[in-house]
Amino acid sequence: MSSPSSRFIQEKFAEYYSEKSSDIQPPPSFEKRELAFLLFRERIMLRHKGFKEMDDFRAFLKKITPSDVYYSTAYYERPEAEMGEKGWLGADLVFDIDADHIPTPCAKVHDTWTCGNCGFAGKGTPPEKCPACGEQKFDEKTWPCEVCLASAKAETMKLMDLLMRDFGLSHKEMRIFFSGHRGYHLHVETEGVRGLDQMARKEITDYILGIGLDTKFHGLGEIGERKSRILVGPSLSDLGWRGRIAKGTYDFLLTASQEELEKIGLKRKVAELIIKDKETLLKGWEKTGPWGIVKGIGTESWKKIAQQGIEKQSAKIDSVVTTDVHRLIRFSNTLHGKTGLKKIEVPTAGIEHFDPFTSAIAFKKGFIKVLVSEAPKFRLENEMYGPYKNQEVELPTAGALLLLCKGLAEMPEAK
Amino acid sequence: MEGEQVLTESDLAKYPFTAEAAKYVKGLDLKIEDLASIDFKFILDRAESRIEEALLYAMVSGELRNIEVEIPSFPIAVMMVAAAGDTSLKSRYALAEAKRAYDLLKEESKEKIMEIADNFNWRIRPAEDTKNYDFALHFADFLRNAADFHDLKWKLVNRALLNGEVYLTKEEAARLIEEEVRRHIEGKLDTKVGGLPENIMSRVERLRQISVEKRGEKRFEELPKGVVVAAFPPCIKSLYEAASSGRRLSHIGRFALTSFLVNIGMNVNDVVDLFRSFPDFNERLTRYQVEHIAGERGSRTKYIPPTCSTLRTHGVCSSMEEACKKVRHPLAYYRRKLWAMRTEAPKEQT
Repeated sequence: MSSPSSRFIQEKFAEYYSEKSSDIQPPPSFEKRELAFLLFRERIMLRHKGFKEMDDFRAFLKKITPSDVYYSTAYYERPEAEMGEKGWLGADLVFDIDADHIPTPCAKVHDTWTCGNCGFAGKGTPPEKCPACGEQKFDEKTWPCEVCLASAKAETMKLMDLLMRDFGLSHKEMRIFFSGHRGYHLHVETEGVRGLDQMARKEITDYILGIGLDTKFHGLGEIGERKSRILVGPSLSDLGWRGRIAKGTYDFLLTASQEELEKIGLKRKVAELIIKDKETLLKGWEKTGPWGIVKGIGTESWKKIAQQGIEKQSAKIDSVVTTDVHRLIRFSNTLHGKTGLKKIEVPTAGIEHFDPFTSAIAFKKGFIKVLVSEAPKFRLENEMYGPYKNQEVELPTAGALLLLCKGLAEMPEAK
Repeated sequence: MEGEQVLTESDLAKYPFTAEAAKYVKGLDLKIEDLASIDFKFILDRAESRIEEALLYAMVSGELRNIEVEIPSFPIAVMMVAAAGDTSLKSRYALAEAKRAYDLLKEESKEKIMEIADNFNWRIRPAEDTKNYDFALHFADFLRNAADFHDLKWKLVNRALLNGEVYLTKEEAARLIEEEVRRHIEGKLDTKVGGLPENIMSRVERLRQISVEKRGEKRFEELPKGVVVAAFPPCIKSLYEAASSGRRLSHIGRFALTSFLVNIGMNVNDVVDLFRSFPDFNERLTRYQVEHIAGERGSRTKYIPPTCSTLRTHGVCSSMEEACKKVRHPLAYYRRKLWAMRTEAPKEQT
């Protein structure tokens, strides 16, 4: 299965691991981590490795040239033992934000799917059933597009805000990485979080995602006796989820159309009232919020509206990654097998200005000719490339590698 | 923490699980051999009654008059329960002692509550907003104790969480300490105890008898063999249908479905067959995984499906039915539904 393309990819990866291995720096307590390597050959995962010394690890990378390198977020007494025998000592608290999990403005038009049965193909997220034959098995090809990555970054910034304001973490306690493909990882490596068990991490996950949130615990509801009952709710200056509900509700109401309001389950009459009195409602935020100031919008309706606010304020993390206390995660400054880009640390203070298509490029030199079957328009540093269809193009090494890794291009046969 | 003694001797009688109480007992220099002597009869009696109350009434009385008896009776009771080696007795006893602590604690001053919390190294301080809350507690200490609670008010997402601290009332702090105490005592009960004098062992034996009788009162219904798809909860039903038609399932979805099926008695072959229509079906791998979950491989533990709340976190719980609100676990749903179907069925036939 050694095609010219896969030979080229492996050569490049080997070059990276022999020349750039000093860039690869260990996570805390490196010697207590399990290391794992996905091999090019037969896509085998080599697991349960452990290294005392970073240099031995670097030498190993050079020797085997893996397509992907992972380490355990967990700390173990015996990282090389079988799962049950490792002796779990704790784990970093890790969050994964992947464009796959978020609805993005680009609607994933760059992704394609092909029905495994009849070959019918389309763009975007695959449908439930193949429109041609009704089968439900698809081959999917995804693409790390700028819009997707910008959405993932926005979610990461929401996550940072939740962790700082609500969980009291400082900039220094969080490390953010671009994954090398479609998203960001946020690692908390401080002592204080290591002992959190799965249940505790599930509660943190639910907090970040706003799952199980009941607005009655955050001040939305009726208070007072019979005749003087009034509807109250959180205000913009409140802290924690209370304030977030207010902010999210504000954002939602600001732009909500009649149609959107009905779509979330409000009665036509209630939706009309909201549109008609929008000015009054928005002005309400200056005092105690819009709750209860327009007659005819009851508690149940407000709950539905607030639910949209919660949706806007939650950060779309992958619940599985955060709750798993034995998770393997990509090693920083190693290459992603699907893109040839690096997983790279993002400065927490300057995340707004971080550009994955500049910083994550591992190969900065040279140009390579490839045969592109089909590729969307993409950018590397300040240059735009594509779209291409069935043509031979000369691309910077990083661009050629990206398309080859994605299976969108082939190396021309050697003459 | 070292420092001036804030807990009085009567506090030690109330909270005999604290480090200070343990120090007090150590000072008494009791020897196991001495316990056979008549001088210690009162202590043994009280130790025994602690356990008996726990078994019969799920509580331990706040007997505080005789401090010299009360304080040492706790470690002796712990030793007796540990010696009994009866799991249900252990958990009932730990729970009852913890409940006792809660009842006493919620009436205490803030300072006293902080003192007890300090015993477990809690990062707790008085809240500045004294109108709504009494304490601010580090979220990790909160989660260690509250993550298992089912009431929605204990979910972190429903709490005031600011700058790493969860805000609590005094009553809530007492409830969380109860949980800490329960685990603390359960941990102590896990030690192996042997070589107790005859007079103590006969007491232990009597308590074990009560525990066995108590357990006999609860009837455990065995799940009937055979798989009744109509009794599946909605989450499992939709996973089952997805799997049957070869639609891709998330990892946790596969695990939930497989563990559910093996727990209701479906055999490994049938479960493997169910996954046959997956595009990436691999018989050897699937069989290995199913056998693992069924406890026929590896650690030999049979896995049970995740709880409703875990399924909700991972988006597997799609649509809640009315009946879902009454249960916390998909297997509980199945059991209830089967039972309901069986009791309804004869009526329909007549």
